[in-house]
Amino acid sequence: MIGVDIVDLQQARLDSNWRRKGYLDKLFTAAEQLLIATAPEADVMVWLLWSMKESAYKIDSRKTGLRSFAPIKLVCSKVVIDGQSATGMVRYGEGLYYTQSELHQDYIRTIASGTPAALQNADVKITGLFADYKNSNPQCVSHHGRYLALAFKC
Amino acid sequence: MNREEFIERLKTIVAKYAQNKEALAGINEETDFINDLKINSANLVDVVLDIEEEFDIVIDNESMEKMLNVKVALDIIEQKLQEK
Repeated sequence: MIGVDIVDLQQARLDSNWRRKGYLDKLFTAAEQLLIATAPEADVMVWLLWSMKESAYKIDSRKTGLRSFAPIKLVCSKVVIDGQSATGMVRYGEGLYYTQSELHQDYIRTIASGTPAALQNADVKITGLFADYKNSNPQCVSHHGRYLALAFKC
Repeated sequence: MNREEFIERLKTIVAKYAQNKEALAGINEETDFINDLKINSANLVDVVLDIEEEFDIVIDNESMEKMLNVKVALDIIEQKLQEK
């Protein structure tokens, strides 16, 4: 199973003031906040970590059928940024998910999966908002701002 | 304060983040923040922080986990106000 999440950075800047008092404490663990504090671009790290959590949560909630808003319990680790690409892991209760992210100047998109192999085999398409995608039967869809991200399993 | 008054105060808060204005106009206890109001998940934190400020309460992470709809939010606000 694959989870996908996309953050439109322009939209995120408009909609969210993550510097607001108390904001980071409700979303990120102490270790994650350290990553944000020491990142060359704090903004990018905030939304990278957020998209990692969201993509992992999407798999978990589909598997369990349960919804919750527990960002602190989605714990990111092993975050490695290499140019426009990033990898990492997210633990959520018993579940462990691998993530791969694309750091575009306009968006950040992350795919998550329970196995590294499934990430390799995943096909992700990013389109404009009004693309007619239903017939293409994606496994997971994420929409934010100007973008739609569709994840397919090859 | 009765539930209707609570819903009105909550409505003022979520109005800033709700993308579905129709659902906002018809807000009731069954209204889901994400599925109905189309509040972006990153803005759910803002809703929680705004509720904390508006009602002068602290919403712990365990409570926040369940705050996906109006009914649960009202229950938690009432509970936290009683604990004060």
